[in-house]
Parts: sequence; C-alpha cells; structure tokens
Amino acid sequence: MNRAPLSASSASSRLVGLVLVLGGVLTSCGSSEDTRPDKWSFISPVIIQPSCATANCHSQLAERSGVVLDTVANGYQQLTQRHFVMPGDPDGSALMALLRGQGSRRMPPDFPLAEADIDLIGSWIADGAKWDGPGSEPGALPVAKPPTSGGSQ
Amino acid sequence: MKRGMYATRAAFLIALVVGLATLCFGARRAEAYPQFQFSSGTQRCAQCHYSPAGYGLLTSWGRDEGADTISRGGNGGLLHGAWTPPDWLALGGDLRVAALDNDAGSSGPPELAAFPMQAELYGRVGFGNTGLSLYVAGGLRGTTRPGQNSHAAQFESLMSREHYLMWKPSATGAYVRAGRFYAPFGLRTVEHIYYVRSVTGFNLYEETYNLSGGYLEEDWELHVTAFTTPPESLPLALRSTAHGSGGAAYAEKRFASMAALALQARVAKSTDQTLYQGGVVGKLWLDSAKILFMAEGDLQRRSTTGGGANQFVGYFGPTFFPAKGLMASLAFERYQEDLRVAGTAHTAVDVQVNYFPWAHCEVVLLGRYQMNGTGLADGPSDGLGMLQLHYYL
Repeated sequence: MNRAPLSASSASSRLVGLVLVLGGVLTSCGSSEDTRPDKWSFISPVIIQPSCATANCHSQLAERSGVVLDTVANGYQQLTQRHFVMPGDPDGSALMALLRGQGSRRMPPDFPLAEADIDLIGSWIADGAKWDGPGSEPGALPVAKPPTSGGSQ
Repeated sequence: MKRGMYATRAAFLIALVVGLATLCFGARRAEAYPQFQFSSGTQRCAQCHYSPAGYGLLTSWGRDEGADTISRGGNGGLLHGAWTPPDWLALGGDLRVAALDNDAGSSGPPELAAFPMQAELYGRVGFGNTGLSLYVAGGLRGTTRPGQNSHAAQFESLMSREHYLMWKPSATGAYVRAGRFYAPFGLRTVEHIYYVRSVTGFNLYEETYNLSGGYLEEDWELHVTAFTTPPESLPLALRSTAHGSGGAAYAEKRFASMAALALQARVAKSTDQTLYQGGVVGKLWLDSAKILFMAEGDLQRRSTTGGGANQFVGYFGPTFFPAKGLMASLAFERYQEDLRVAGTAHTAVDVQVNYFPWAHCEVVLLGRYQMNGTGLADGPSDGLGMLQLHYYL
C-alpha cells in the first residue's frame, strides 16, 4: 500500500493548522481562581528564577545590587536576611513595592510579574515567609551564603 | 610533525581570540537568524554557519550569502575581503551597540539607556582532513544597567560563551562535538527576550557544557545532546546562568525547500526543580509573497518539592522581505506560567525591522508590547523600544 508523498502545500497547511489549534487551545486554559501553593520552594523556581535570576540582573554572573536569586536557598536567604521580605507583613515588605513599581522602578524591569504572581508572593509573606526548601528540615533556614561582591540595594 | 603544526595553530587561535577580546567589551549573544532558512535559498543552518545547528562564525558560503543575498551589496569576506585566511583558519566577530526606551509601568519615568551590547570574536581552526576543528568565541560582558558592586560593570569580566571541539568530516552526515554551546533546540532566535528563549533554558549566557551528536541530511537533521552546567568553581568567564543537567533532542524534517517541521524534547534537573519540555517548531516560506512564517509551541512541566506547574510557551509570526536588504517581522508570543491560572499569562507583540545597507552592517529596530496577566486589567503592561547598530568582521 503506497501512500502519495506529502506535498509541500499540504504539509504547510497541516503545520499552520496544528500550530493555530495548539496555540488556541492551550493558551486559553486556566481559571480565575489561584490554587497554586504559596510556598517558597514553588515560588522561587517557577516565578522568581526565570524572571529575576537572569544574566544582567540577579544571577551569580551579575549580582545586581549584590542580590542573587538563582536558587531556592540563595533567594530565600537574600530576601529575608536583607529585609526585602518582612515575614507576616506584605505591605511592609520592600519586595512587594519593587514588584509593583511603587516608588521605584518596577522589578523585573523587562519582565513585570503578573498580578496573580505578586499576590501569591504576598500570600507567602503574609503566612510568615516560611522556609520549605529542599534538603532542610521544616522551619530551618538555609545556610547564609554571602554574595561574591557584596553591595546593598 | 603534524601534531606540532596543530598545536601551533591552536595556540595561534587562542592567542588571537584572547588578545583581540581584551580590546573589546560587552559580549551579549550569538548570531543566528532563523528567518534566513528557506528565504535566502539555503535549507540548513549549517550551510552558513560552522556550527551544525547555526549560531556563531559564518562559513565562506554564509559570508557570500550575507553580502549577495541578504545585504544591499559589498564584500562579505573577512575585513571586506582585504585578507583571506587560509582554509584551516576562520575568524570573525560581532560589534553591537544599542539604545533602549523601556517603560515597565512603574511610578517613575521610562528607562532610557545606551550600552555596548556585544563585542565578541570568533576563531575556528581545522585540523587537516581529520574532520576535527576547534572553535573558540570570546569577548567581555556588557550590561544594560551598570551598577555598583556588580561584576557586569567591570571590564575584566571576560566571557567565552562558546568553545568546543567538533568532529564533522563533511557538510552532511554524522557529527560529534563537545564543549560549551547552546544545545540545538527551538527556533534559536537572535533576540533572547522572546519567551521561546527566555523561559525555556536558552536565555542570555545559559549555554551549557555538552556532549552532542547528530546527523545532517539535505531534507532532515537530528541533534541529541547531553548537558550540564559549569561548576561554580570555574572562573566567571566560563560560568553560566543555567542550572542543572539533562538531555535534549531536536529532529527537523524539511519539505520541498519551503517548509520545515521539527519535534523537540528536553529534560533538565537541578537541585530546585526538574523541567520537562516537549514541543513543535515549524517554518513555512511563501516565495511568491516573500513571507516566512515561523512558529514554536512548547509544553513544559516544572516539578518542584513545593508543587508543579504545567506551562505553555509559544511564538508565531511572519517575516516579510519586501526588498533586498530589508526584513520586517511581526511576532505574537505567549507564556503561560501555570495553565491552571489564567492570570499567570504573559502575552507579547513584537515588531522588528532589520536593515542591511551593506555587507557587515545592520540596523535593527525593535518594538515590544507586553501584557502580564490575562490582559483584562489584572496585571501591568510594559513596552520596549530598541535601536541596535551591528557590525560583523
């Protein structure tokens, strides 16, 4: 049983159709209710690291303002011990003002977070900004790792 | 005797690259235009680039194409043809400066900046008829926003994003390479701000150390890569912003010199998460209309100890070639950070014009509007305008 070879136009039509269907279906997903966990071990790798720990900003390469957010442990240590996060007080946490661009340049400057993400971070802070990173007992803080070049915000 | 000759060539290459690199500043990214596949009459990235999957130094064919097909004229050879290196040696470089106007929607005024974007030199030494070659790229990192206490603000921050040894005995067929580079994956756009690069593990300086192999044919190609990130003990010049180790595979089938369809998969595991990725890449060239459509769609699963997130990353857009030396692109992008929550979407529209007035020269205008959230006033929007002036050796 021989099949006719796929013509270029047929292949092209199928390709465009596949992309449009996939894009249309997948990008319209999601509900308005946020059921995600407000845990740092989720927030850091899913939200913070891809948006903030980039080559020109808060990676170990750049250490912008001496802040490194490239791992769950580094991010937690830097945000809490340098008081960007005040456990239990999202309104008093500098991180929330930075993410919303209130009184300063919005962070990240080239990839602002969606309000749902900022709210999730606020919820984690309101819940005490607990450490739940991998390899640590509940409630234990990660070992402090000073930035290579130091600096302050 | 041959060994001595190869050692001399390698030493010459390394000395040249390092020496010239110290005169430069601000390496930012590799050069590769996925828009030129089919539209320039070439089928494979490796026709114009020494790298099997594109990026970096141009072959002599690529240099000729850069002048005759893509630019409005000139000589595409090294130093505009003033000196032709011997066959075993290939050299090149990129210089790029940029200015931007970035409005991230904060309470202050938009951010204005002018900065060195890229200054990078490339060298490749071929070792006789063995099929072996050594490739080294080097420059210094530039920064958009220099600040105190930052490595990026210091000129001594040399960066070598790519350096590898490759066995590739012919233009088609099998190859193997080992070293630092981006694993072949995705559309491989020049601009790293596109979601299909920035959130898939291919953002700026996310090159990994790889052992990669594959097979190239006229109408299909396959690349398989095992990768890991540089250890933190390495000098800053060799470090990466990537985390984790894993594998990637990319298989592309081309149709009638006008379309391509690729399937891809990748897994990266770090201490914080495991990222599973699978996707489709497609291109369609309509010669009569001089339009190339490019698309990529990826599903990702970020698995963490605190929970997981299923994500979608997509790119779709046409590139129009209205006249020789001119390329205009429109792109629609989508990144949904968590498919459970509609408000975690990022949607962007990009307009980009590339003008190649003469061989080696390029002017780029880029405009980007980004909505963060569903786009229904539940998140900030931001805009970016950028001008780039680019010269390649």
